[in-house]
Amino acid sequence: MAQFLEQIINGLVLGGIYALIAVGYTMVYGIIQLINFAHGEIFMFGAYFAFVLVTGFNLPFWVALPLSMLLCAMLGMLIDFIAYRPLRAAPRLSALITAIGISLVLQNLARMIWSARQRSFPSESLPAFFLSENAIALPGGATLPYRDLFIILLAVVLMITLNRLIYLTTIGKAMRACAQNRVAANLMGIKTNQVIAITFAIGSALGAVAGVMVGLREVIEPTMGYYKGVAAFAAAVLGGIGNVTGAMFGGILIGLAEVLGAGYISSGYRLAIAYIIMILVILIRPSGLFGKSESKRA
Amino acid sequence: MKNDWLVVFLLAGIIALYGCQPASQDTREVQKELKVAVAGPFTGNAAAFGEMIQRGTELKAKEINAAGGINGMKLTLIFEDDTGKGKEAINVATRIANNRQILAVVGHFNSTCSLAGKTIYQRTGIVALSPGSTNVSVCEGSDWAFRNLYRDDFQGKFIAKYIKNVLKELQSVAVLYDNDDYGKGLADAFTAEAEAIGLTLVASEAYDRDNTDFKAQLTSIKAKNPDGIFISGLYGQAGLIAKQAREAGITARFFGGDGIDSPDFLTIAGDAAEGTYLTTPFLFGAGGEEAGKVAEAFKADYGVAPDTWAALSYDAVGMIAESIENTYNESATFSENRKAIRDYLASLDTPGEGYKGITGLTYFDKNGDTVNKPAYVKIVENGAFTTAPLQMLSPE
Repeated sequence: MAQFLEQIINGLVLGGIYALIAVGYTMVYGIIQLINFAHGEIFMFGAYFAFVLVTGFNLPFWVALPLSMLLCAMLGMLIDFIAYRPLRAAPRLSALITAIGISLVLQNLARMIWSARQRSFPSESLPAFFLSENAIALPGGATLPYRDLFIILLAVVLMITLNRLIYLTTIGKAMRACAQNRVAANLMGIKTNQVIAITFAIGSALGAVAGVMVGLREVIEPTMGYYKGVAAFAAAVLGGIGNVTGAMFGGILIGLAEVLGAGYISSGYRLAIAYIIMILVILIRPSGLFGKSESKRA
Repeated sequence: MKNDWLVVFLLAGIIALYGCQPASQDTREVQKELKVAVAGPFTGNAAAFGEMIQRGTELKAKEINAAGGINGMKLTLIFEDDTGKGKEAINVATRIANNRQILAVVGHFNSTCSLAGKTIYQRTGIVALSPGSTNVSVCEGSDWAFRNLYRDDFQGKFIAKYIKNVLKELQSVAVLYDNDDYGKGLADAFTAEAEAIGLTLVASEAYDRDNTDFKAQLTSIKAKNPDGIFISGLYGQAGLIAKQAREAGITARFFGGDGIDSPDFLTIAGDAAEGTYLTTPFLFGAGGEEAGKVAEAFKADYGVAPDTWAALSYDAVGMIAESIENTYNESATFSENRKAIRDYLASLDTPGEGYKGITGLTYFDKNGDTVNKPAYVKIVENGAFTTAPLQMLSPE
């Protein structure tokens, strides 16, 4: 029982991280129908930014985290401005291939700047309650480290904030308008390029949070964006690409499937199990769990 | 922000420039270059090994050239990065095999890469001398594959016996293995021996090289409460496993093969590395006077102490250089020269004919394997590798 409880916690933490990355994929797709393959690399840069701020500039973790979000938001907007905006009218395939190119450039850039060596936050630079000794004892002998609780709560808070932002604010309304019909939105006086830039900024900032969380829990390396990015992309597709609520639940589902699959079925096939679930869902509901069918969207 | 690669490149550049100068006391003109490829994981998950391989081979080449080269010809190393992945190793091997100036290959390092390159080297006819691949079948079925260290069937058995017969107090073990040729092969050898000698195997879990989250496997293992965990993989994942296991509240002792024998294991695992036992094919402490000198020269050049892999790579270049020295014929074709190197290495099949390097005597059996070299045990104490107080030099 304790084991099962701990596996569920493991799955929720991983799922929360995937959800944070997946919303970045899904928001950009929702608004410009682009699968932003460079998003996994933005996530990776988020981890490195925080790492450099903490170790190089000796900033406290609580300053480094929002700064890293800000830097990644700027990086996301920059990528949109340089690489995707000129291709707005071009066929979708051109932008897609550009995204793959940007992803490779960023990954190799990180390797050149920080080397391929794995890094992790020095434990003395982190708030005390992040250290592994500090855990809540749960009934049955299971433990819940404060750090993991923090990751789950932070993911939930950010998700709810994002949801409210999209449905209750003017900018959220503008985003939804752009997602429905960009040309019409433009005709109504919405500055679509600005809205798209803000979408990139929000998605990238959330990706940065995920990157820092993975850096806390696992390790920072130039290839981290690929592995987590692919799983998060699967989560976005599972939830229905373009749908933010779908990406959140998709992330949690993929995270749980991966951990429970590895814990109880076979650890060698952990991602395979998650993908099989995704494929089954797509077979039954081609537009994903929360996605609208193509005819309705149009 | 420390920029390690920049330092490496600068050092490499300085050494390259230095190597190009004819030694001042040597009046012979350096006429011609002899090219040898060094294939290893210079980037990617095993890059810490690659760095040591690069430095070890460069040091040996520098020493050879400073002493007048090979029969007056300069030895030039060509570094090829296989990233530790089989797919990339195939590209690298093809590129090397088709380069009609390269006489022999030192590499690959990862077993998966050596296995991937084996058929290509065999088909083209060029020697690949590995300073690190330990999977059982690396040399099998190829006349061109050699290695200068033990195989995993030996290593896996060794660790199981060490746990059972030397440490004695451990009853049950769990195995976590990297799902590639090295990790799986070593885990299989360990598991077979552990079961044969009466260690209780409570769990055997695989992981993927790119993974960095092992909580799922570790939570399963925690429920089985083993006395020891044998990690059959590379330093990066092993470091994370150790760290995450301690976080999950697992108190078992860690064991590892030579794949975790890198200082990076210590930095990644942090305090969790403490008390970890690992096997290694070579210890500078157990090496002779010659090894000590090389270690000093290495430290002078690179500012860090050499590790096992630097030493084995150093010796591998030495062996290839000796082969070239004894067989190279300028008027012969390149494939004849490649063949002559192979024949020379294959003829080193008795202790009397073996190559005396800093890692001891190397000679080959009919497969090209080295079967005489012992395994040593290291332990992590106060954040550093030290020779374990109990060794097991005759595992039988």
